Amino acid sequence: MTKILEVRDLNFSWGDNHVLKNLNLDVQKNELVSIIGINGAGKSTLLKCLNRILKPDLGKIRMWDKDLSNFDPLNLSKLISYVPQSIRSNFSMDVFDVVLLGRRPHINWRIAEDDREKVSQTLRYLELEDFAFRKFDRLSGGERQQVIIAKAISQDPDLFLFDEPTSDLDLRNQIEIMKKIRKLVENDSSKSALIAIHDINIAARFSDRILLLHEGEILASGAPNEVLTVENIAQVFGVTCDVQLWNGEYIRVIVEDEIKQTK
Amino acid sequence: MDSISEKHIENGKTQFLMVLILGIITIFLSLFAMGQGSSSNLDMMATLKIILGLDSATELQSDIIWKLRFPRILMAIIGGAALAVAGALMQGCLGNPLVSPLTLGVASGAALGAAFAIVLGVSVLPYSHLAIVANAFLFSLIVVAIIIQLGNLRSISAESYILVGIAITFISGAIVSTMQYFATDAQLSQLAHWSFGSLSRPDLIQVQLISIAVLGLMPTAMKWSWDLNALSVGGDEFAISTGVNPAETRRNILILSALMTSIVIAFTGLIGFVGLAAPHMSRLIIGNDYRKLIPCSAIFGAFLMVFADTLGRTLFAPIVIPVGIMLSIIGGPFFMYLLLSNRGFRR
Repeated sequence: MTKILEVRDLNFSWGDNHVLKNLNLDVQKNELVSIIGINGAGKSTLLKCLNRILKPDLGKIRMWDKDLSNFDPLNLSKLISYVPQSIRSNFSMDVFDVVLLGRRPHINWRIAEDDREKVSQTLRYLELEDFAFRKFDRLSGGERQQVIIAKAISQDPDLFLFDEPTSDLDLRNQIEIMKKIRKLVENDSSKSALIAIHDINIAARFSDRILLLHEGEILASGAPNEVLTVENIAQVFGVTCDVQLWNGEYIRVIVEDEIKQTK
Repeated sequence: MDSISEKHIENGKTQFLMVLILGIITIFLSLFAMGQGSSSNLDMMATLKIILGLDSATELQSDIIWKLRFPRILMAIIGGAALAVAGALMQGCLGNPLVSPLTLGVASGAALGAAFAIVLGVSVLPYSHLAIVANAFLFSLIVVAIIIQLGNLRSISAESYILVGIAITFISGAIVSTMQYFATDAQLSQLAHWSFGSLSRPDLIQVQLISIAVLGLMPTAMKWSWDLNALSVGGDEFAISTGVNPAETRRNILILSALMTSIVIAFTGLIGFVGLAAPHMSRLIIGNDYRKLIPCSAIFGAFLMVFADTLGRTLFAPIVIPVGIMLSIIGGPFFMYLLLSNRGFRR
């Protein structure tokens, strides 16, 4: 296996709040890794540190064996694309032109035919072709979320950082978008994805590996069935649950009625 | 080629055509405007011939065109274009549709400088018409310097720029009001006249210098089109993940637009509305893609300015209504109508 991302001793604080503590993690090539944890565990903070939206206090981030701290946003955006949960927009733009922004790191000023084709293909891949010339700011939350995912795909990075990519999507689209992300990571020679997600069952079904983030550290890392144990879930989320193997394929976590008192 | 790509190219062509038509209308309007006036009316062909030096026009006609109307119309075109582009740039990089070139306090700085020259006679140049211009420009440069200093602070947000601009506006306003309190009637009227905004002040050489400066700055503005698209449509985090450095880009864009505003406003006085309205009207035609929005705003700004000035000169001739007033009176209701009747602007 080839290592694509290597994070060593990452620390980040918001003032007195020490969010990430000496965090270490690796992402391999063609790997889909999910990060789960409670609200405020530092999932988004971790992703933003990796994309240098936030500056870590300490620690090394290396990608393809290169130190990312010397990268400017332009060069970084050719390697990594961070997908926020949602974006606010005061100005109206066609969906096509929003997705076209994914090509911005690769072009000088002029759009080449290849760039247009990449955008068109991406829109078709995500079944957004009917939205291509609708106004981005007039779409629903879920539609907008799919569009900014499309923008990241058209950017063609080696590593995707998704922050809650399914949070605004309906049941069917949650599965569809994860399938498509999965396919992208599996098929393309050098792509990987790191996904912050709350839905444990979606994470369990689609991830190669799950990281359980707890109090700024990684409590457990491994295949879904290794990480999603009754004990781990009780410790991190403070809920009792049952873990089942579904169809012999993937595990499901079923939360029981009774909520255990935390601390 | 994919049919979606084809549609995108098709849309681009339609938009280009619309901008082209607007440009041609503006050229014709400008020629027409040069022929109109209280002293001598010429048709467009005659005006064109005089400008191209093809016709043996009388010396008087030639003088009227070259010394009076040509500088004025050129000032309207360049000033309108510069203020509209400055407005579009500022709105985009601050992610705020309410912003105009006056928001950052550049213009109120210029007004303060003008007041110093008019009321106190304090100026960097000996007292003359140019003293007011020089003072206005110098004081607006001080505001530009403040913007640069703000931009060097780490993690300054778009909102902070706007709030500091509003604070500067209040401070200069207070000082100007204090000076007005002690000013003579003649000074008061001169100050009021300055603040109306007028295109008749600069002579041909000055207008040419302004044109060179503005046209020199435009390509730089175009260079930032993609960054502005990312910033205006998605905010800072989205821009970073698109390869833009928001803090640095925003600072540079604000410096450029503040400079363009200063250059124009020092000569014309306070004209603000065109910088708010022209970018929004352009968005209704061609959307928010800055590669097209910047040229379209420039043309729309020029059009609005020439239109308002010509109306101001001819409507109650020989009384001339200053262009700043005319723009707001005619443009304001038109702007409101466009916004309210367009679905794209309604939530």
